[in-house]
This record gives sequence, structure tokens and C-alpha cells, in this order.
Amino acid sequence: MENIIQITVSGLLMGGIYAMIAMGLTLIFGVTGIVNFAHGEFLMVAMFATWGLNNVLGLDPYISIIIVVPLMFIIGMLVEKAMIQPIISAPHSMQIMATAGLSTVMANAALMIMQADYRSVVTSYGTKSLMLGGAMFNIPKVVGFVAAIILTSLFYLFFKYTYSGRAITATAQNMKAAKLMGVNIKNIYTLAFALGSACVGVAGVLIMPIYYVFPSIGTYFCTTAFVIVVLGGMGNLYGAFLGGLLIGVVEAYSGFLIAPVFKEVVYFIIFIIILVVRPSGLLGKTTRSS
Amino acid sequence: MKKKLAWILVLAMVLSVFAIGCGPKEEASEGGEDVVKVGALFPFTGSLALLGEESFRGVELAREEINKNGGIWGGKKIEFVKGDAVDAKAAVAEAERLITVEGCKVIVGSYSSSIVQAASEVAERNGVIYWETGGVAEAITTRGFKNLFRVCPSSSEYGTVAVNYTNDEIAPALNVSPKDLRIAIIYEDGVYGTSVSQASKKRADELGLNIVACEAYSAKAADLSSLVMKLKNAKPDVILATQYATDLMLFWRQARELGLKADAFIGTGGATANTEFVDAIGIEDTNGVMDCAFGSTGSNPEYAKGMDHVYALYSEKYGKNPTSIYPVVGYVGGTLLWETLELAGEMDPAKIREAALSLDKPEGSTATGWGVKFAGPDEPNAGQNLRAGNILDQWQDGELVVLYPEKARKPGTKAIIPLPSWSK
Repeated sequence: MENIIQITVSGLLMGGIYAMIAMGLTLIFGVTGIVNFAHGEFLMVAMFATWGLNNVLGLDPYISIIIVVPLMFIIGMLVEKAMIQPIISAPHSMQIMATAGLSTVMANAALMIMQADYRSVVTSYGTKSLMLGGAMFNIPKVVGFVAAIILTSLFYLFFKYTYSGRAITATAQNMKAAKLMGVNIKNIYTLAFALGSACVGVAGVLIMPIYYVFPSIGTYFCTTAFVIVVLGGMGNLYGAFLGGLLIGVVEAYSGFLIAPVFKEVVYFIIFIIILVVRPSGLLGKTTRSS
Repeated sequence: MKKKLAWILVLAMVLSVFAIGCGPKEEASEGGEDVVKVGALFPFTGSLALLGEESFRGVELAREEINKNGGIWGGKKIEFVKGDAVDAKAAVAEAERLITVEGCKVIVGSYSSSIVQAASEVAERNGVIYWETGGVAEAITTRGFKNLFRVCPSSSEYGTVAVNYTNDEIAPALNVSPKDLRIAIIYEDGVYGTSVSQASKKRADELGLNIVACEAYSAKAADLSSLVMKLKNAKPDVILATQYATDLMLFWRQARELGLKADAFIGTGGATANTEFVDAIGIEDTNGVMDCAFGSTGSNPEYAKGMDHVYALYSEKYGKNPTSIYPVVGYVGGTLLWETLELAGEMDPAKIREAALSLDKPEGSTATGWGVKFAGPDEPNAGQNLRAGNILDQWQDGELVVLYPEKARKPGTKAIIPLPSWSK
């Protein structure tokens, strides 16, 4: 029984982290239709920024969020203007090449500048856990989980009550109609991409107390994030949240009950089953009109 | 629109070529006749780059030294042609390039077992000497290759040394019979982890020890809590773990978080002995952690003669001390290769092979403490250095202290058994 509680808790907390990473990816896809293969590298940049601020200025990771997130927003904006805008109506294969190329460039640039060393931020709370109801709650992971919930709620409010938010929703639903209604599509694409990057910025900051950063860290999280995005329904933020938690829990249980080496096999099987039953993902209602 | 797009793509491609090409490419030589080309195949980029680069630095230091001392064959300088083996697939392509395009007759490599295994296949087919300094998988030398030489010990050594030490030293220190000791084996599921852990398992079975868990996992996993929970349930006294650097740190963080307890932890493979491990986990919680590897920076200088020399060369060139044993291993491999080439007298694989097989040095004659005697082509582990042994060391207050073998141990050292409990 104690095991069951602990595994569920571990899985859910890990799921929260996955969800945070997947949310940015799904937001970008939902609005612009671009699959950002460099998403993992954005995560890496955010983590390096957090590490750098801690190392040079001695900033606590949680405080550095006020610098890293705007920074990632700006980076996202610039990348969108320089790279994504020109290819927004290009064939998918070209878009894939562009973002996959960006991913390679970023990872290798990081390798040149930062070397392949593993860097971590040592905090007093990094490995602290709370004992609650027979399970250990790792504090930074709880913070990450709560942040994922807050982020989802903020997005809900943003999409519902602000002009920009509604314009983003409108663009995602029907780009042409939104354009006819006077929405500046170009700006909306930039905003969505920048928000997606800021989102992964939050994730990068919040996982820094528990993980270490190195140039290829992106690939560790990226596959999972893609699975979650498709599972939750491409472009659906709440789906990404749900999908993240689901994958986290499935991973934890299959690792414990079957074998750690099979946990990916198990979640891919579940992934395939869900897609067969619901081709548009858990919360995806209709396929996106192109 | 289309034009702009094309420009951006071209720019992206140029940039990526630049970024990839920048690391490994070496300057072209000036005097064609006076140089001896040797291929250097290591993972310079990608997830194995950290220790790949460290290993290369070792052979590079050995190369600079021999060139400064007049080179080989009365004045010929050695020059490296670098190949970037990101993974097994890239290793094959790069080995082919080094052999067919660059005309290398000797390739030195490679740190990672999966890379050696793939690349040496190409070398063997083309009759080129493959000189391995750091890849440990047993299977590398059991294929009966004629042109493959491995300076470092093979994986079976790790398992054997770690299990023997558990049997001979840890059990008595804990006051239990070795057969009552609960042993857990965990390993990353690649060639490296699998081969080392199989050797541990085999040796434990031979001694009739009690293995309560044997778990593989992916070194790229972002979460190992289920593995930690499985171990917690198995209640092991001794954990033997074959891990790479990132998963090692993740495992320890989560083990501390979930309160996993054991009386001894032996990392079989070497990642545990890197200073990055202590930096990440802290001096207190790494106190008492053991590691079994092919050499230790904490060896008795009497045993590992010349280790301080490698340290001096390294810190002079790179401005800091090595963080792992890999540069020393690379240096030893490099110097032995120059010696072999000198003996061979020319770049002829048959003569180089003959020269390598004629090397005969007693234990304690290299910077890692190894001797040199390669197994002949008819032996089951052809090309393996039979006098390369393993060392078992332990973190004590942030310093590595050698516990085994006796000869490598500094006088007055004592093992910390059992492992202290987690710091608060």
C-alpha cells in the first residue's frame, strides 16, 4: 500500500514536470501549426541561463525566474521573426527541416561554448522531501507541479478574458476568419511562439534544482513531450496537462511493476491504443483545418 | 518569400556544419613526408562527449610529448586526423572516412564500448590497426579480431573485482556470512552496462551469493524513482551499479529523496569516480561510496608511476586538473602506441601487430599501474591486454582512496563500511 501511494505521488509529480514542458510545445503547434523540434534545446537554454545566474550572481533558481522567463520570451520572439515567419506557409517537410536544424545548431553551439560538462545548481532544498500520508514529496517537484497547475489556469484566464488570448484562440480555430475579423496574424504567431518559449522557460527554471544541465539534455525530455502533445490532442493545453500526468503515472507504475527498462515500451503501447480509439487525442475535438 | 526561405535554410545548414565541424577538425599538416597520420576516433559531440573529449586529451598529451621529444623513427612527427563518433552509426562512417579518404593505417579510440564495437569492425575488414584505450565491453575482444588491441581491462574484470571485494572484505566488515548478504545489481541497458553487470552476476553466482534484484534501465531516463522503489522493496545490503554519469547523479538524487538504504554501494565502471559526482551530490553523501574502475587518481604513486606527470601535462595545457581517470588512460594508451610504432619501424599493420604482441611489461610500469602483454590471435580474447587490472577505490571526505589491490593502496588507509546514513 505504501508503495502504491509513493509510486502514484512520484508519477504525478514527474507528470507535472512533463506537462510544463509539453504545454509550450502544444501552444506553439496549436496556433502556428509548426512542430518545434528545437523545443528541448529551448529548455536547455533556459536551464543554462538559470545555472549561469546562480553561478555568477548567486541568484536562487526560483528568483531567477523573473529574468529567465522574459529572456526566453524574447528569444522565442526573435527566433519566430527570423526563422519561423518566413516558412510559416512552406510545406511541412521544410518546417521540420528548419526546426530540426535549429535544434542541432543550438545543441552544438552549447557544446562549443559550455563544453559537455554536467552543471547543477546546489540549493538547500534541492533534495528535501516532505513526508505526508506515507509518501515522500520532493519539494522542488511539488513546486513544479503547483506551477503547472497555475500555468494552466493562467492560460485559461488569458484565453478567455484578454483580447490577445481570444485572438490566439481565434487564430488557432480558423486563421482566415480571424484575419478577416482584423486580427494581426503575424503578431499573433510571434506572440504564441514567444509564450511557448516562455512556458518552457518556466519549466527550465523549476527543474534546475533537481536536474543538471548539459548540451544534449533536450533530447531526454523532448520525446516524452512530443508523446504528451499528441496524446493530449495536438494544440490542446489542458490535454497536455492531462497527458503529462498520465504519462508520468504510467511510467512510474510500469517501471515498478514490470521493469524500469520497459517503461517506455508500456507508455508507447498505451499511446498507440489511445490514438487508435481517439485519433485526435484525449481532449482533441476536431482535427485542425489547414 | 521562397527566396528568403532558401537563404535561411542555407544559413542554418552552414551554421550547423560550422558548429559540428569546428570541434573535431585539426589543422592540416605542413611537411607531408615527415608526419605519420593516425586516426583519432572519439565522441567529440553528443551525449558521450564529456568523457570522450577527456580520453582524447590523454592521447593528445601523449602525442605532443612524443613530438616534442623528436617523434618516432628518427624524427617523424605524429599527426592526428580526428573523427567524431557521436554514436555507433557515426563511428562506422567516420572510421570508413579515416581509412579510405585519409589513408590512416592506425586508429586510436574511443571511450565508449558501442563505438569501439562498431568502428573496429570496419578497421578489421580493411586490415587497419584499431588501438582501444577505454572501451571495456568483454565482447570487443572475443570476436577473434587480428588487428584490434585493447590496452584497458575488459568488463569481466570490473564485475569480478567488485564481487570479490564484496565477498572478501564487505561481508566480514558487516559481520555477516557472504551468502546471507543481499546483493542488488542495477545497470544501464547499453553494451557497457549489460556486459559489466553480466560479469558481476556470473561471479556472484560462482561464489553462491544471494542476488535479490537485477534491474536494467535506460541511461536517458528522466526519472528513476520506480527503480529506486524497486530497490527499496528488495532491501539490498550491497548495490552494484554500472552507470553513465547523468543517470548516476539522477539515481543518487532520487535515492536520497526516497530514502534508499544500503550498507555498501559499488559503482562498477568509473563514472562514480568522477569529481562531478561529488560536486552534484555533495561530500557528505558521497562519503563511503565505492567505485571499481581501470585506475584511480588516488593510487599509491609507487604503484601508478607517472600519474603525477600526466596530471602536470594536463593542467599545464588545460588549466585545471583532470576530473576523471580517462586522460591518464588515454595517455597510457597513446604512449604504448608510439612505442609499438617505433618498434614496428614502419606503417605496416602486420609489423605493428607483431610489435604489439612483443610488448612485455610487468604490472606497475604505466601511469595507471598496468603492465602490458597482449593476448595472441589464437587466444579467446585476442588483443586484450592481459596485465591490465582494475582498482577499487572509495570516496572519503571528497577524496578518492584506493582500497584494492593491496599494491595500489596507500599505507594507513581504512575502508568506510557500512555506508553512513544520509546527511540531513
